[in-house]
Amino acid sequence: MIGRDVLMAMLPEHLLLLGIVLLIVLEIAGLARRAAPTVALATVAAAVWAAARLSFDGYAAAPFAGHFSVDAASLLAKALVLALALPVLLIARDEFDGVEFPVLLLSSLYGVGLMLSADSFLTLFLGLEIMSLPVYVLVLLAYQRAQSAEAALKYLVLGGTSTAMFLMGVSLLYGGTGSMDIAVFARAIGAADPMARAAVVLVILAFFLKAAIVPFHAWAPDAYEGASVPVTAYMAVVVKAGVLLAAVRLFGPATLASPMLELVAVLPLASIVWGNLAAMRQPSLRRMVAYSSIAHAGYLFYALLGAPEGRMQSVTFYLLAYGLLNLLVFAALPPAADDRERDRLDNLKGLFHRSPFAALMIGIAMLSLAGIPPFPGFVAKFLIFKNVVAAGHTAYAVLGLVGSYLGIYFYLRVLQFMFMSADAAIAPAPLRRHALGASLACVALALLVAAFPGWVIEHL
Amino acid sequence: MLEALVLNLVLFLPLLGAGLLLVSPTDHHDFTRRLTLVVMSLQFALTAWLYGRFDSSVAGLQFETRLPWIQSWGVHYQIGLDGYNILLVMLTAFLGPLVTAGAFSSISKDVKLFYAMVFLIQFAMMGAFLAQDLFLFYVFWEAMLIPMFLMIGIWGGERRIYATIKFFLYTAFGSILMLAAVIYLVYSLQTTSGIVSFAFADLVKARLPLGAQSWLLAAFALSFAIKVPMVPLHTWLPDAHVEAPTAGSVILAGVLLKMGTYGFMKLGFPLFPDATALFTPWLMSLAVLSIVYGACLALVQDDIKKIIAYSSISHLGYVMLGLLSLELVGIQGAVIQMVSHGLVAAGLFLMVGMIYERCHTRELAAYGGLAKLVPVYSVFFMILTLASVGLPTTSGFTGEFLVLLGAFKAAWPPFVLGLNHLPLVLAVVAVSGVVLGALYMLRFALGFLFGATKAPHSPLSDLNTREKTILGLIVVAVFALGLFPDEPMRKTELAAKAYKQLVTTSRLPGRAP
Repeated sequence: MIGRDVLMAMLPEHLLLLGIVLLIVLEIAGLARRAAPTVALATVAAAVWAAARLSFDGYAAAPFAGHFSVDAASLLAKALVLALALPVLLIARDEFDGVEFPVLLLSSLYGVGLMLSADSFLTLFLGLEIMSLPVYVLVLLAYQRAQSAEAALKYLVLGGTSTAMFLMGVSLLYGGTGSMDIAVFARAIGAADPMARAAVVLVILAFFLKAAIVPFHAWAPDAYEGASVPVTAYMAVVVKAGVLLAAVRLFGPATLASPMLELVAVLPLASIVWGNLAAMRQPSLRRMVAYSSIAHAGYLFYALLGAPEGRMQSVTFYLLAYGLLNLLVFAALPPAADDRERDRLDNLKGLFHRSPFAALMIGIAMLSLAGIPPFPGFVAKFLIFKNVVAAGHTAYAVLGLVGSYLGIYFYLRVLQFMFMSADAAIAPAPLRRHALGASLACVALALLVAAFPGWVIEHL
Repeated sequence: MLEALVLNLVLFLPLLGAGLLLVSPTDHHDFTRRLTLVVMSLQFALTAWLYGRFDSSVAGLQFETRLPWIQSWGVHYQIGLDGYNILLVMLTAFLGPLVTAGAFSSISKDVKLFYAMVFLIQFAMMGAFLAQDLFLFYVFWEAMLIPMFLMIGIWGGERRIYATIKFFLYTAFGSILMLAAVIYLVYSLQTTSGIVSFAFADLVKARLPLGAQSWLLAAFALSFAIKVPMVPLHTWLPDAHVEAPTAGSVILAGVLLKMGTYGFMKLGFPLFPDATALFTPWLMSLAVLSIVYGACLALVQDDIKKIIAYSSISHLGYVMLGLLSLELVGIQGAVIQMVSHGLVAAGLFLMVGMIYERCHTRELAAYGGLAKLVPVYSVFFMILTLASVGLPTTSGFTGEFLVLLGAFKAAWPPFVLGLNHLPLVLAVVAVSGVVLGALYMLRFALGFLFGATKAPHSPLSDLNTREKTILGLIVVAVFALGLFPDEPMRKTELAAKAYKQLVTTSRLPGRAP
């Protein structure tokens, strides 16, 4: 039953589409202002539920053979990424009204859904673009200062470059094999043919650009700083998760060997080191998070050095831990009248006395992102490096771990500001209701993952 | 069965206490303090009960709990008591209530957060001692840094930020390399023997070539040696001690430093026996260097907290020497020395804190003739000083004497046979550390308690009941360990034998076990 499969396999995507249409209808009917956030939230929740449900049923189907297929693992990853968008919607509730934000966000999520089920370069490209285009607009949406325009433009231009590289690589692959199947890529990784090699390098670099790996990272700090808090959260968490999971899907069963091994090891290693070093001297929280996410993208690409069977699990777990804790930072960030004030790290000074809850939440998030046990970031890092060692790349693992050590300082600096510095002269600002809900949900889940990592890993 | 449950309770009580503090009112400081004291005392009572139930004729783990935690990696939540950790667990539980009570008057800022941190440190330290699974151990080992970081950073002295970040970064650097070693070790166990496990009992079966053993031991040793700390990796300690609040110093000196020596005893040496044999001359030299160098530095300090901080370096050098002697007496002496130093250094830091609360200076020159001003204080101080020096009947004597006995016993045969003179030379130099120890402690006590009467603050009030009780308990424990070391030594005897057996049996690949 092809028709049924089309309905079932793409159920999460269909629900997202339905939500988009509903939101637009509401806008036309003039009801959007009140209902839009709830509708968006319900839509994503339904999509998460659908993906998770299908995954637990062990559902697998290929409604468009050769282009789009789902199986339990990819559906679970999809459910996870979509679920990470829920706190973003909650945080955004206090900042955006109107229908634009939810519609753009849902469209972008639709793209993520396509990407994670892509079997052909066409679908992958479609997904990548549908995911990225709305984000360019989202960055601009909170147009409060001139930098936003600059940030959006930079992001757009570099995003375009990435697309161009991706297309160039794909066309080389197509030229060589006559196939659009993504499995071509996995086969080309080991090939000695210069054209195949060039194609592989172009595609990998396109992904590096999207995930902000050194030396293609320069757009990220500007874009993160220029966007508003929910959009930054979305870019740092959901977009990154989508790109990484798509990369894992693309690499498929390929084991990396020289020279591609060096490409996938050295640039992410440079990202880890440079991201962590540069983060130390950022005055802005969002720029710091940007550099931190550059480093985290490095760890995530490290997962590709591991054996193919373990990649999906380690990346998904990492994204879960990284996503939850990053979202926690943004959800617990105290509101301020001026966006620029909210972004200044100095304004976190003495936060513990103004808002102990927010300080504790951000503190937990920082320690977890730094990879300090018992928080889930540690198990996530452990899982990735364990796979890297098991694949025989001990030297890269040690270098990566030492690189991760460099990151501890700037995370601790945030704790130092919040707990040990004299109070910044700002009035205490309690968290808004939805942000509070989002942070509670994130921290509860993060602590559960910390307490029962085994259960989570076995279900990935 | 009941004992295993109680052991879990002992471990999780501090976490429970921290949870209670989270939901208790913020401004009721006295309630917070009492609650903490009650929970800590309960933990000690339960631990003491377990100590009584501990059967010293049984080798290996007792009161064990083993539950799968991350099953696919072979990680278990596995805790238990054995001869390695029983005394240290007892020490940790004993110091818990004393630290709590000691901070009653000195901490008035963010009281709830402070006691939550005390609870979390206690939880992590207890966990690190009880853990029988490398993954679990590592989690506790690292997690310990977080509350300590906050404790020094929030309630510390003027240069607290510098000190606490230095402390964290220093120790974390060792840990990160240890993490790499842990991953590699477990992975090689899996490939060579097919066992997927993090349990200590399985890991000691790993057979590794000398090269791998050396690298892995180097990584473990770096992490442990920073914690001990051994010269030249000790530079974080004086800063951390001086800037930390009293409770922080007490926890650091009392228990946290023993993590390093415990790590060597439980993991470092038994896991990599062949590399240990290779490294022994170097490590032993560093241990003796720590003894002498720490003592020399303690001799010239003007800050009373620094004197005790450097004396810790010296005293823990003995522990390392005892562990490396591989003689039964030396090993057991090392364990006694760990506990003894925990008691004595904790007591001295508490006393420094008490006088600091009254006078707000730690300058040695600012004090003199305290024996006339605060007689009760001076009596306690003298007792602890003499215990630190290693006067017979105190715990310090038992520990140092056994360690030196072990060192000579191990050094004599190679010397007589003309094989190796180094151990004997080192043992002789280590003895000079005892003399230096007497020198710096007595110089300290002389300037502090006797001579012309001066105090930066007057009138100087003597110890109150709370302080007398705290110090009285410590002094009782010091004498108990000094006069009746039999019982604790019986509890550790089998573990010491097992340790010796493990460290002296080669585990290179391809040889019969």
